[in-house]
Parts: sequence; C-alpha cells; structure tokens
Amino acid sequence: MAFDSAQAKPFPYLLLPSVLASRNRARRRERGDLTRGLMFGAIGILVVGALFQGSFWLTTQLESYEELGDYLLRLGLSWLFMTFLSFLAFSGVVTALSTFFLSEDLRLLLTAPVPVRRLFHARFFRTVGQSSWMVVIFLAPVLMGVGRARCAGLAFYATAVLTTVPFAVIPVAAGSLMTLLLVNTFPARRARDILMLMGLLFAASLVILLRFIRPEQLMRVESLPDLTDFFSTLQSPVTPMLPSFWAGETLFASLRGAPDWLHFSALWLTAGAAVVLTRMANERWYFTGFSRSQEAPKARFTELRALDAVVSVLPWTPVRRQMLVKDLKIFLRDVSQWSQLLLLLALVMVYLYNFRVLDLERIPYMSGFLKNIYAFVNLAMAGFVMATVAVRFVFPAVSAEGAAFWIIRTSPISLRDFLWSKFWTGLVPVLFLTEILTIAGNELLGVDPFLKVMAAIAIVFMSFALVGLAIGMGARYPRFSADPTQVAGSYGGVAFMIQAVLFVIVMIVLLGWPASTYLFQRFRRVPIRTSQELLMIGCFTAAAVLSITVWLTSMRSGVQALNRLSD
Amino acid sequence: MIAIYDLVKTYGKFTAVDGVSLDVKPGEIHGFLGPNGAGKTTTLRMIAGLLKPTAGRIEVNGHDLAKEPEAAKASLGFIPDRPYIYEKLTAGEFLRFHGGLFGLDGNGIGPRVTEMLELFELGRWENELVESFSHGMKQRLVMSAAFLHRPQAVVVDEPMVGLDPRGARLIKDVFRRMAQRGVGILMSTHTLEVAQEMCDRISIILKGKIIARGTVSDIRAMGDGANDHLTEVFLKLTGGSGLQEIDEIV
Repeated sequence: MAFDSAQAKPFPYLLLPSVLASRNRARRRERGDLTRGLMFGAIGILVVGALFQGSFWLTTQLESYEELGDYLLRLGLSWLFMTFLSFLAFSGVVTALSTFFLSEDLRLLLTAPVPVRRLFHARFFRTVGQSSWMVVIFLAPVLMGVGRARCAGLAFYATAVLTTVPFAVIPVAAGSLMTLLLVNTFPARRARDILMLMGLLFAASLVILLRFIRPEQLMRVESLPDLTDFFSTLQSPVTPMLPSFWAGETLFASLRGAPDWLHFSALWLTAGAAVVLTRMANERWYFTGFSRSQEAPKARFTELRALDAVVSVLPWTPVRRQMLVKDLKIFLRDVSQWSQLLLLLALVMVYLYNFRVLDLERIPYMSGFLKNIYAFVNLAMAGFVMATVAVRFVFPAVSAEGAAFWIIRTSPISLRDFLWSKFWTGLVPVLFLTEILTIAGNELLGVDPFLKVMAAIAIVFMSFALVGLAIGMGARYPRFSADPTQVAGSYGGVAFMIQAVLFVIVMIVLLGWPASTYLFQRFRRVPIRTSQELLMIGCFTAAAVLSITVWLTSMRSGVQALNRLSD
Repeated sequence: MIAIYDLVKTYGKFTAVDGVSLDVKPGEIHGFLGPNGAGKTTTLRMIAGLLKPTAGRIEVNGHDLAKEPEAAKASLGFIPDRPYIYEKLTAGEFLRFHGGLFGLDGNGIGPRVTEMLELFELGRWENELVESFSHGMKQRLVMSAAFLHRPQAVVVDEPMVGLDPRGARLIKDVFRRMAQRGVGILMSTHTLEVAQEMCDRISIILKGKIIARGTVSDIRAMGDGANDHLTEVFLKLTGGSGLQEIDEIV
C-alpha cells in the first residue's frame, strides 16, 4: 500500500481513543460512580465558591487602600501566577514523562506510520491538558472574583482566557523539554527515578517559597517600620523576565481597561517559540529517548540487605516476616510510589513551619486559650493527614497484590494472617508520621502538657482505627487490575475517605469537650465537679471504644470479604 | 519484503543482538526461533520501529526504516507478544482507530472492520468493550488490527500464546492464506511443532547471533540423525536439555 505523510490523519485524531474511552466510561457507569461524582462535585463547588468569595472579598478590601491596594493587587496577581508557574513546570516534567515515554499506548502508536511531528502535537496537547487542568480550575474562580470585585467588563474575562493559555503552554513546554533531556541523559529504566528527583526539588521549592514571603511579619504591629523591607521581600522574586509577571501585568492592565499589548505579545510569542523549540528537539531526539526508556539489560535496584537483617530478628512467624519484607521492598523499589510521599512530607514541613512562626504571644490574655484551640486544630489536621496517607498507601495494600494474589491464595497461610500482616506494615509508618506531626506541632506551639499527652495518646488510637478501616475496606473493595492511585480514587477509596473524615470529626468532638472543660476549669481555678469528671471519663472512654470498635470490626469484615473471594 | 542487515543492539556493555541479517521473501513464513533471552523480541521490536538499532539497517517493502519510517511502517503489520489495546474502546472502535492510523479512509473502513472481525470470529463482539475480552480474544483482535490495512509484511511475536486449539488453528489458516497472497511473515515462536508445520524457512538465534538457518529439512539435517525431530535439533544447537541435572535434583 502506498502511503505518504499527507495520508496521515491530523494530530487530533490521535486523541480520539481518550475521547471515545471517556464517552464509553460515561455510558457504562460502574458501581459507586454516582456517589463519587456527587461527592467530588460537592467538594469542587465548595472549593470553587470559597475561592471566588475569598478573592472577591480580598480585592474589595484592597480597593479601600487606593494606590497601595492597587499595588498589592498587581503584586498579588504576579505572585499568583508565579506560584502556578513553578507548579506547571514541575507538573509538565512529570506528565511529559508519562505521556511521551511511559504511556503504554505508545507501543501501538509507534508501530503505525504516524509522523513524529503529529505524535508530538497530540502528546503535547495532552500534556498541557493534564498538567494544567487543576491550575485552571483554581485560577478561574480567583480571577472571576477579582473581576467581579472590580466590576470588570467582558474584555477582562476574555483576556484572562487568552492569558492563561500561553501561560500554561510555556512552563509545560519547558518541562517537556527537560524530560526529553533527562530521558536522553540518564541510563535507561531510570526514567521513573526522575520523578523522585523532581519530587524533592518541588518539595524544597515549596519550603523556600514560603521562607521568601514570611507572611508572619504582617501580623506584627511592632514591625511596621520594616514594612518597606516586607514589600521589597514580596517584590524580590517577581522578575519582569518571567511569564508570571507578564500574565499578572496583562491582567492588571485589563482590569483598569487599558490593554497591555507588550506583555500579552510576550506571552504568546514565548509560548509559540517554546512549542517550536520543543517540537524541533523532539523530532531530533524523541525516538532515541523512547528507545532508551524501553529496554535495559538489568534494572537498577537497591538490595536492601539491612531490611532483611532487621526483619529476621522480629519475633514473628516466617510468613509474617516474609510478607513484611516483600511489601517493603516492593514499595521502596517503586520510586513512583514513595516520591508522592515526599510531596506530602513537604506539605507537612510547611504546616509545621507555620506553627513555628505563629506568634500567638502578641495577643494578650488570649494566647493560652488560642494555643490550646490550635492543639485541636493540630490533632484534626494530623487525623486528616492520617486519612490521606491511609487512602493512598494503606487502602490499596490488598489491591497491590494485583495479578500475584494467586500466590497468597494458593499458599498455606490464612487470609486472616495475610490481612493482619498488611495491617502492621501500614500501621507503623502512619503512626510514626502522625505522632511526630502532633508532638512537634504541640511542642512548637507550647500547649498545655495535659493536651500534649492527650493528643499523643489519641493519635495512637486513631492510627489503629484508621489503618484498620483502610485495610478492611481495601479488602472489601479490591481493584486488582488498577494501579494504587486509581485504587485510592475508586468507589471503596472514596467511601473510606468519607468514613475516615467522619471518624476524625467524632473523635475531635469526643476529646475536645472534656479537654476544654478541664482547661477552662483550671484557667478559672475552679475544681472539676464529680459529674463533670464522670462525663469526661465517659467521653474519653467512648473515644477509645469507638477507635477499637472501628479497628477490629473493619479488620474482621476485611477478612470475611477476602474469604468470600473464593465463593 | 523484510530485510535486515548486520543489526546490532547494545545496552551499555551488553549486546542483545549481534550482527543479525535475514530476509523474508514475499509469500514466505519465516520462523525465528531461539531460547529465552536470545534476542528474538529485541530484533522484532527493532523491525517494528519500537527500538532504535545501535547499528545496521532495516528495510520493509524496500523502504529504509530509519530514513522513511512512515512508508516502512505503512506496509508492515506488527503483532507483539504483550499487545496494548485501549481497554475502554469497543473492538469496532479500536479497529477503526487503528485503520485511521494507517490512512484507511473513513467510508471504506466499516466493511473492512466487519470483514476482519468475522475472519477472526469476533463479529458479535464488535460493540463490546475490550476490557471484557479474554486473553485469546484480545490476541485475535490484535491480529485483526495487524491485517486490517493489508500489510505486505507481518512481524509476529509468539502468536499462539493463550489461544485455544480452535484459535490456534484459525491463526495458522490465516497466516497460510496471507502467505499465499504474497504477504511475508516473520514469526517468533517457542512452539517448535508450529514452526515445523508452518515455516518455509527458519532462523535460530542464540546470544544475539544467528547460529542456523534453512528450511525445516535443512535444520533437521543438522541433528545427529536425519530423522531427528526439530525439538531435538533445537536443543542440541542451543545448549541441550539438562535432563541429567533434572534427574539429580528431583
């Protein structure tokens, strides 16, 4: 058959499978799709509404400061875009690695007579979409809030759309180029290790970004003479050479009704140039990079002998020891798994850093009270971190056995032993992480010793309950053919999150009332009445009983569900 | 139809394919045999355009794969050992998309898709999602995709894995019929009976190098006795069966 490149379909044709797959998925609903849709929809509407209201309120407030308000709004827009710029560049690298090199359908597309340029356009389009949808969802209500507060006309919203497109394209193109470079530089099969590297860089940049702003300075009335310093700190990372500055300037000008063609053109020209440059580099090096990422004589891995040595001395049965070794080695050797944990750790660091700089002492009489309130915020936050870690890393534990689950089912071990082994493997890191988070947070805040002890004990109970719930529900709703991220977002994962959040809220209520009663009475130097004491003990006992019940019943129902698999 | 010259593929210091040359003539079924890790799949994936050769040249239907990749791929059908199919597409949607990649016109593709699905006994599954297919059905779907655009050469890696006897018989018949129409087929397989039954010529690869080539009779003649079964000759050429060690261990 004669074939020339003119016969090849234009690049949107290569996006057809995604479109058809989405349509088919929408037509054939799976169990729990409606619940998941409603839940995510409701959360989405809440978040979008809050962002809109927040930016509307802030812009309205700034308006009362006249020139200073304008200056802060202008700076704020640049900051907003600069934050997204770093996120988009990082997201571009990670997504390009998947869309250009690791995606399985490439094995099909590359055997077809698809010109490299068209493949690039299709993949780049997908990369931009996948990397930036979250930014767009976040940005849209914020800009709408700003526009509404300033009574902006349609031209502002049109400018916002036309600014966001090139603004998203530039960092994603840079990220794709970076990925191409890395895949061609690193030895084959280590492409996924890049994710880890990027995760670390992103985590570090988040922390540095926060250090740069030092928002706590705004709260210090006595530091007002340093306000100029504060503004110069704010101004320092906003360089006119970055697309974030151009985007901010374009939108600010549009808000005032005067188009800024210079920065608008700079955005589009740079976006065009970035795409052309990335495309040229792809035409030159893509196939070499793809080929390198496919095969290698030997995969690089860490032997983790120390792990074998440590586990061998644990007073467990050989079955449980080997299960632990297997789970840990698989987890530690899969960079894409634990690099996500790094991002979470970065957020935890930022969270703790906030406690460190939070200067509650400046509020006379109230500092002690506020500190103790914050102790509960900290406990709730640790609970939510626990739920998030559990849904991503513990809930998929049974599903992670995947196609190899037959090994467990045909081995002479009970499914009860199997599930409890998964429980202990999940419990230790979750407990460790959240205990550190709670103890460090309370320590940095300087809360009452009674609350410190209570929070530390509560975390132990909550960890047992939430890890048990995650393991049990993971066994009840396994998805053996899906990857862990998909498992976390499945019907069972969403159901777990709902129950976990409810559990955390109930625990906070059960612990909050007796603890606040105790502190309040002590603050007023009034002895606690016997009836109050009894109620306090009742609440603490209820919290403990609730945790133990959730833990054990979840595990039992998980074991029953696993046994039913062979029915 | 398919011609490769001095093909080399190295990964660092390891040479997976070491100067392999072979040609598949129109209408020929060429068996590509070798033990696990000998370099068969790497060679086939280079011909399909999935791996870049370190050295050497590949021609498909007279087109140099490195210089005219689209033209070379357009006349080739590839059936991998671990095929990828979009699980959320129906069989019909997948075939129509695949045809489009090879420039098949939108109007003419419908009857061709139906024809191929009927040929591979998947007609009543045209509107079912691929995710509901068994392994054998997926294998047959990939084969219908590979033959959809009427390729002049086909590269197939382990075609019989996961097929029931009826499916295996069907595939053999299709391959024979295609070969009779002039399609050159390069087929790797571990099923030596299949190679013996179907192949006009056989190449045996070991540690990246071709160690034997010829018709089935030529290969069998390389054994100790003229009536040796292909399996015996294959084991002899590639390093023996190690039966004695098995006895000792058992």
